[in-house]
This record gives sequence, structure tokens and C-alpha cells, in this order.
Amino acid sequence: MTGGMRLLAVVATAAFAATGCASGSSTSGGSGGTAVNGGILQAGIPGNPDHLDPALSYTNEGWEILEATNNGLLTFKKAAGGAGAQVVPDIASAMPTVTDGGKTYTFHVRPGVKFSSPVNRDVRPSDFKFSIERLFRVDSGGVGFFTGIVGANQYAKTRKGGISGIVADDKKGTITFHLSKPDGTFDDYMATPFAFAMPVGTPDKDISTIPQWRIATGPYRITDYVPHQSITIRRNPTFRSWTPDTPNGHLDGIDVHIGVTPEQAVNETADGQLDWYFESVPPDRLTALKKQYPNQVFPFTRNNTTFFVMNERKYPFNKLAVRQAVNYAIDRNALVKIYGGQGTPTENILPPGFGAAYKPHHLYPHDIAKAKQLIQQAGVEGAAVTVWGHNTEPTPAAVQYLAGVLNQIGLKATVKTFDESVYWDTIASEKGDPQIAFNDWNEDYPEAQDWIDVMLNGEHIVNVGNNDISNTNVPAYNKLIDKAKAMPLGPARDAIWAKLDYLLMKNDAGWAPFMNRQWPKFVSSRLHGLVFNGTYFELFPSMWLSH
Amino acid sequence: MNGSPPIAGGSFRTAWRRLRRNPAAIGSAIVLFLILFACFPGAPLWVSHACHHGPDDQNIQGTVTENGHKVPVVANDGTPIGPGLRACYLLGADANGRDLFVRLLYGGRVSLEVGITSAVLCVLVALLLGILSAYAGGMTDSVISRFLDLIWSFPVYLLAVALATAFAVNGISIGPLHVASTSLAIPIVVISIVYIPYVARPIRGQVLTLRRMEFIEAAIASGYRPTRIMAVELLPNVASMALVFLTLIVATNILTEAALSFLGVGVPLLTPSWGNIIEQGYQTIVTAPWLTVAPGLAIMLTVVSLNVLGDALRDAFDPHARIRIRG
Amino acid sequence: MVRAVVGRILGLIAVLVAISVAVFVIFNVIPGGDPALRLAGRHPTQENIRQIRHDWGFDQPLYVQYADTMERLFIKHDLISYQDQTPVLPAIERGIPRTLSLAIGAAVIWLFFGILIGVLSGVYQGRWLDRVLTVLALAGVSIPIFWLGAVSLYLFTFKYHGSPLFAWIPAGGYVPLTQDPVGWATHLILPWLTLAIVSIGFYARVVRNSMLETKHQDYIRTARAKGLSPARVLTRHTLRTCLIPVITLFGLDFGAAVGGTVILIEPIFGLEGVGQYAQESVAHLDLPPLMALTLYGAFFVVIFNTLADLAYLWLDPRSRTA
Repeated sequence: MTGGMRLLAVVATAAFAATGCASGSSTSGGSGGTAVNGGILQAGIPGNPDHLDPALSYTNEGWEILEATNNGLLTFKKAAGGAGAQVVPDIASAMPTVTDGGKTYTFHVRPGVKFSSPVNRDVRPSDFKFSIERLFRVDSGGVGFFTGIVGANQYAKTRKGGISGIVADDKKGTITFHLSKPDGTFDDYMATPFAFAMPVGTPDKDISTIPQWRIATGPYRITDYVPHQSITIRRNPTFRSWTPDTPNGHLDGIDVHIGVTPEQAVNETADGQLDWYFESVPPDRLTALKKQYPNQVFPFTRNNTTFFVMNERKYPFNKLAVRQAVNYAIDRNALVKIYGGQGTPTENILPPGFGAAYKPHHLYPHDIAKAKQLIQQAGVEGAAVTVWGHNTEPTPAAVQYLAGVLNQIGLKATVKTFDESVYWDTIASEKGDPQIAFNDWNEDYPEAQDWIDVMLNGEHIVNVGNNDISNTNVPAYNKLIDKAKAMPLGPARDAIWAKLDYLLMKNDAGWAPFMNRQWPKFVSSRLHGLVFNGTYFELFPSMWLSH
Repeated sequence: MNGSPPIAGGSFRTAWRRLRRNPAAIGSAIVLFLILFACFPGAPLWVSHACHHGPDDQNIQGTVTENGHKVPVVANDGTPIGPGLRACYLLGADANGRDLFVRLLYGGRVSLEVGITSAVLCVLVALLLGILSAYAGGMTDSVISRFLDLIWSFPVYLLAVALATAFAVNGISIGPLHVASTSLAIPIVVISIVYIPYVARPIRGQVLTLRRMEFIEAAIASGYRPTRIMAVELLPNVASMALVFLTLIVATNILTEAALSFLGVGVPLLTPSWGNIIEQGYQTIVTAPWLTVAPGLAIMLTVVSLNVLGDALRDAFDPHARIRIRG
Repeated sequence: MVRAVVGRILGLIAVLVAISVAVFVIFNVIPGGDPALRLAGRHPTQENIRQIRHDWGFDQPLYVQYADTMERLFIKHDLISYQDQTPVLPAIERGIPRTLSLAIGAAVIWLFFGILIGVLSGVYQGRWLDRVLTVLALAGVSIPIFWLGAVSLYLFTFKYHGSPLFAWIPAGGYVPLTQDPVGWATHLILPWLTLAIVSIGFYARVVRNSMLETKHQDYIRTARAKGLSPARVLTRHTLRTCLIPVITLFGLDFGAAVGGTVILIEPIFGLEGVGQYAQESVAHLDLPPLMALTLYGAFFVVIFNTLADLAYLWLDPRSRTA
């Protein structure tokens, strides 16, 4: 998924690598000392989180909060680094039994996990069936993960009769999912908050602002939410830790102040008024902060690719030579400078965090002369081009850089920026249809499928909500993608992703990737225990405050 | 009242004499002239003789020599070089390594073009509507007045932003007229619309007063056509008011362009305007304050000169302040 | 008189209806602000998007959607934002005291200084004090308001924040009066001054010009001839008449400020009043709050315009016979 306020996934750097164990009582990531219990974390967020309803939230702000309050059958291990990409059982007592050639997943629901008041009872298998069906009834953005379940598409249309492919047996304590095709990433989907348990009877609308339905199963619960003002999170009295992977949490609670700008956050964190901010440090403040508060700045790397996307259906980017020219023309090091040095230059589609699926290639060394030549040969000199971007710095600087470069190689470029809140929808719709646009992508789940299948498989091109913004559609590659998707996770699958990365950049070049971005965080001096998980972002239950 | 109109052609000469004796007016006129000179002929002169960077030349990986050292135009952490006594980057650079001083000069062209063109449009339309509605009276007056009320009741910035946003995505397409979405015509049109009622109402008021006078009744009785009366008799008598308003509206529109750019719907990025330099610079005000301060000062200087001049014009035409703010 | 008032009220309603239609049309014309996509989130299936369009009524004809929006706004009071599906009216109610705190506080300052400077200018007309004050006043209104706010915030809460002179100034935010009056004031000082500085000039000019006009009037000369001291003449007679245009101008200005200008100041200082809500809603192309806020703004503008007109009629005896 794309950047900004959307879900961002993080893989922590070496400076922060967890000691491996998640013993539930203390995680020594970051500044030293043993964890102490107590204290209310003062957190800031620039605007309302998109939702506090697990069925609807699809941004990292929402998932960060919901990870601390709710649980699903599975979870990504509550750890940092590569460990945090591993799926482990949560409310399920063990990993699912997979049968029928990868099409049937059977889970046992652990007894004794309670919903908080006023529901006040154990979580049952029927609650999971209800929760997933509810996704379709509330028009959740996450339904796409579950359309592979038998009967889901019919249910999406009729909303009657439940999803036949989900069989819940409360007496036996099991729940079974029948998929229409094998999908190696089904476990990952079940670890996202969309699959978190909600009690049967939860109304078919956004319960973010309905207190009696904001039910928790985790160590914390949301006790109050005043939009544009605050979110109050306190300990959940009905919670009992059930595995080492479900930490108790050290904080007594979290006070989230809504409406804090990034600049305000920097000032207030320096003052000690604020402990932690949902967003990262404005890149230009970084140098001064690193000098003044070296122990309070953490450079977190995420699985991210930042790139310019070119529309293969629109002149002049309908010519391969022109797209290659753009790749030759940009100086990736200059772009990294625009981002305050907070990233590493790249030409690859996939980010480095994907292990064997990532094989760096260098197809397009910076060469303005070559780019100019390609433009001339393609006969598109003087073509009018509008570069699109959103208006949160440093993106405007990046798109102006690109426009300047395009002008240098012989095109006639102008810039158009949109507010970030409408930008992502606009570039994904046919009505918008940019020629060339800024784009970035952060993981929904830690696998290359989330990049290549979602954004470069021609079979997924649609008129609205299109993620294949380059309209890349190479039938041979589409087949290769589908082949990889059906394979189980492992080196064979990774090898295909790496090959596709190379082939797509060489022969299609719908993208001009330039950077794998980092997002530094600045926290108060009393905050410790920061653990960065790829999917859930910073884990509240691991944080603690010194006095 | 007697038969002669209150402000006739002769008053332009008297006004000029009064203006000449007003030091504030002279001072502001000189400042404005200097600004116009700097932005129009001055800008390319500076580029060709002082430093050879144009307003759009990005130089992220470049260096300048200070005291014998090579200093990067943009540091590795993205901070651009600040102001200093040098031919290149006199006022420092922005995040894309562009010369701020050169961008200020060229940006002035855009801001002044937008300000002046939109003001001329605004005053022309206001004159048309004001004279027409006051002269014709009755239904025409009602319709025009209600329409002006509608525009004026719309909170100015919300109206401007709404219109600008609506036009921004795909431009304007009305029949044969097609305006690209990144064209300057869009902010010009939007800004000219929002202040039309502000000018039209007092003009209408003035024309209403004039209409009752003997010289107009005489013209009507003589059988002159309405268009002739409006053009020949009425128009010159509101000309002085229009001139005063023109100066003040140029000032207002320069400020409005800056505000719209700040809200993200003014002059599009890449080509500089004072407003969009602030729009971008504001986000890094802490580490590169000159990017915000310099264009703001440029705006202030230009606008205060226009306001002082406009005020002096008003004094010169009407020392007893009969031109009121309310029509 | 009653007929005039009723006429005005009907006029107000007509204007508000017209504005609501205009806003609705403008925002439905914009491509790319598709709320169904925003509501659908990432990875929506086409079925998903179609379903949302149906559930939220976006597949209905425009006039039906318009009527529905108006109904939710005025009758059912459950208008919901597209951006984050939170209710719109409570957010506006929460913002109004903040915006009023800003506008009223600034108004007190600009009226006081505006009148003071205008009187001084008028009394010393033509002399150097008049010239200097003129330029200062005009300089004030020539400053872009958001720029003044941004630069003053930067100077006093960052660059010179260490100095004891400015250390007490908070870097934005708002504290309710009922919670902490001192905090309320310190958080509003910079916004008040910003809004005041760009407004003082108009009032100074109006007062000055008004004074110049009345100075030459017969009844003033009569008063002087009768032997009243200049100061007495000033306070008793001149000032009263001068204030008439001030009141009418204030009516227009205050309405415009509360209805619109605050959109430029509140985001800089993070005051989260209706101005900031408006700025965010426009940026997000979020039609429901924008509709509510535009009507709220227009209402204020028209009400204060009307009050200004009525005040003018009432206060200026000459205009009654005109």
C-alpha cells in the first residue's frame, strides 16, 4: 500500500534488533534498563485515525492502536526485524492444519480469551466467522484479502446466508476455512487486523465512535474517543496474557492528542510534554535533533519503495524508450538528498528487506546524454508532460526535481500537486489518469506478492481503485506472477520474484524507482522499549516509561 | 444639488497636482517602479550578468566556493545554503538547489501579472455591472445586485478555494474555450471573481447618485441612447473611483494569490510566484527561514507601496473623503 | 421596519440556499475527489466500490443527494464526514468557541488601536505624525496574514524561544478559557496580534477620513465658535460621527473574519477552530463538513452585513432622510 498516513510497515535496523525473545515482561530494545510498569504515555497524532474499528481501519495509525487492544486467530510475531515477519498463533492455540492441497485451513480456538465488558464472555469460533462476514457488510477495504474463501463473492453480492466456505463449530472449538485456490499468503491475511475477533452482534456500521461496541481482547482498551480531540486508552481489566507472544504491557495507558502537527510534535517532544508521535520527524529537523538528542532519535527502515510511475497508455510514456530515458535521466543520489538523506538509492522494484527475492540490479546508471538521445530517437521532443505529486514535503521538491530533469532531456514538463488525502485515490482512478506521478509503497504484509502482484499484474487493472497505475500488462509476466503466487513461501518462489523484478525493469520499465525510504522517529527521554514490527508498527505493549 | 457632476474631467488635473505634492505618493511610486524594473527587465539582466542560473535551474549536487572552500548548494541532509554576499545564491537556495533571489525576481513577474490582470478584469466587470445595474434599475438591478450579494456572501477564501480546486484537476472547458489546469489563467479568473462585488457596489452607488443629476436627465431628454449615456457621461465620472479601486485591488489580489498558493490552490509549483515560494518554504521554515521570509517581504513591500499610492490617489481625487468605503 | 426585517430574513435564506447549491455543484464537478474510493480504502474490489456507492447514495441523482445532505444537516443532525466518517456537527460546535475567542480578542485589539491611530492621524492631519502613522497602518494591512503568523511563530517560539521575553509563548495549540484562563490567553496572544495587525490599518484610515470630513462640517465650526475646547469638540462631537463608518466597517469585517479569514490563521497556530476545520475539509475535498462550514460562514457574513446596514441606518441620521 502507498505511503503517508496509510499503513506503513517497518523492519527495524540493527541498532534496534530485538534480543529475539519476547518474554512478555521486558524487551530491551533501545535505551537501557529493565522495564518498569506504570505511567501514561503522551502520544500525538496529526489527525483522526481513519477508523478504530478493526474491520475498517487500513492505516498504520489505526493498526498501531488496534494491535494493542484486539487480537485475531494469528498474529505477526510481536517482535522487530525479520522475526516480526513471522506469523504465529494468537487466539488460535496453534498454527492451522493445512489440508486439501493448501485449500483448507483448520484452526483451534484457544479457550479462556475474553471479550471485555459489556460483552464479557469467551471468544468463540462463531465470532471469527461473524467478523469476516461483517467485513463484507460494512464495505471494508480489506475484503480483497478474503475473496479467496469459497462463497465469499456470492456473499459480497447477496449479503445473505453467510459465507459457505467458513465453518465454525463452537462445541468443538474449531473454525475451518475453505479456499477456492491455494494461496501461500493466507496466514498473513489472517494476521491482519481485518481478521481480528469482534463479538457476534456488533452492528454493521463503523463502531469507532460507539463506546459499547469498542470491545477489546488485548491488554489495553479504548475508553474514550473524541474525534479531532483525543483518544484515551487504558488497561483492559479482563485481559490475561495467554502466551509469551501476548505481552502484558507496561504502560498504565496512553493519551493520544489529536491535531498535533509534525513541527509541534518535535517541539513538544523536546520539551518533554509529548513522549511519542505517530508520524516521523520532518527530514529537515533531523540533523539538529540527532546532534542535540542523540539517544532519542531512531532511524527505522521499512519495506518501502519510493518511485515515479509512468502510464503506459498515455503519450509519451507509451514508448518503452521514453520510460527508459526517465530511468537514465534521474540522479537517484540527488533525490535521496531531497529526502534529507533518509533513504538508500535503488533501481529495484522490491525493497532490500525481502531477502532472496531482492537481487539489486543496475540497469540504468545516471546518464543525461543517453536519456536525451532516447527521447530524440523516440521522436517525442517537446511533448507536454504533467508530473503529479502530493503536497506533503518533500514530495513537491521531488516532483519538481523530476520535472526539471524532464525539461533537461527535451520534454516540456509542468507540475501538479494534490493534497495527500485525495492524491492516492486520484492517481488510481481513470478520471485522474496521470502521465507520470510520484508513488510509494509500503508493505501490507511482508512478501513480494504485495508488490508485484498488486501493482504490476495486468490482470488486476480496473477503472477505479487501480493499483497498477503504470497499466503494466505483459501476459508472459502475468502468468509468471500467478505461478509464484500459488507456490509455498520459500527460495523457489523468491527466485521468481527476483527474476520478475529484473525483467520488468528491463523490458517494461513502467516505474522509475529511486529510493528505499527511512522514517526516523524522535521520542522523549523517558520512553523506552520501542519495538518496530513490520505490520503493526511500534508496539505499545512493549513500551515503558522511566521516571 | 447643482447641475454639474461632482467629479469631472478637470479634477484629474487637480488630482495630479495634489499627488505630485504628496511625498508618500512619490515614494511609493518610485518603489513600485523599482520593483517592476527588477522583476521585468532586471531579472534576465541579473541572470545573464551576475550568476548564470535561471529560476528553474536545479543544482542539487552543485557547489559554491566560500572563502576558498567548496560548500554544497544542498547539504547531504537536504538543507540548502543560506543567504550570503555572493553573486550566485545571494539569498540562498531552496531544497531543489535553485537560486532564491532569481526566483524572487521571476516570481515577482508572475505575482504581478496575476495581481494586475485579475484586478483589471475585476474592475472592468465591476464597472460593467455597476453602471448597468444602476442605470437600468428595476429587474436588471435586482438580478445583478442579488447575484453580487451571492458572491459576496460566500466566504472569500472558501469560494476561491472551491473554484480553484474545481478547475485545478482538469482545467476549464467551456465550448471552444479550453484552459489547461496548470495555466495561470485559472488563478487569475478565480481571484478576479471574488472581489467584483466589493468594487461593483460603490460604483453602483455613485452611478445612482449621478443618475439623478440634471446633466444626465438632460442627456436622456436629448434622446441619447442608453449605451452612449453610460459610456460618455457616466463612465468618466466613475473613472476616478475605478482608478483608486484598481490600485487597491491589485494590492489585495497579490495578497490573495499568496493566500491561495499557501492553501495549495494558487499558482502551480515549478514556475515561481511569491505565493508558491512561501507555500513550499513554509514547510521547512525552521531550517531554511529565508525561503519564507524573503518572498513575504517582497509581497509586503509591493503591497504597501500600492496601498500608499492608492490611498494618496483617493486623497488626491477626494480630499474630503467623499468616496466612502460603503457605496 | 418590520417588512424590511422580514425581507432581509427571506433574503438571507435565499442566499444560503443558493450558496448551498453552488457548493454542492462545484464539488460534484471535481473529478478525483471520489468519496466512494476514499471510503473504500486500499485494495477495494469493484463490488466493494459499487456497494459503497449504493450504501452512501452516490448512485442517486444529484438533486436527491443534495436533499439528503440538507436533511442530514438541518433535520437529522447526523451529517458524516467522508474523510473519516466522524460526525460533522459536533466538530463544528467544538470549533466555534475557539474561532470566536480568536476573532473577538483580536477585534478588541484592532478596534482600540485602529481608532486611536485614526484619531491621531486625523487630528494631526498633514503633519509628519499623520504621514508616519499612515504608512505604518498601511504596512500592517499589506502583510500576508498567514505569513505573519508563520514568521512570528517561528521567531518567538523557535529562534528566540530561549530568551525570557518569549519563552512563555507556546508553539501553537489551544486551551479552553474555562480550563485555564492564563493558558487560554498565552496561546492566543500571537494569533490575536496577527489578526489585529492586518486589520488595524483599515480602521485607522476610515476613522481618519471620517474625522477629516466631519472636521469641516458646520456644526463642528459652530461648536468651536461657541468656545468649546478642541478636545471637547473632539470627544463630544467629532468622535461620535466618526464611529459610524467604523461600526459599519466592523460589521462587514467581523463577519468576513469569522466566516472566512480564520481559515488562514488557525492552521498555522493549530487552534482547531472552524477555520482550521474548513481548511482541512477543503484540502480533503470533504463535502459534508464543507457544506456545513460554508453555510455557517455565509450565515455569519450575511448577518453581520445586515447588522452593519441597520446600524448605519440607525446611527447616521442623515442617511435616514436621504
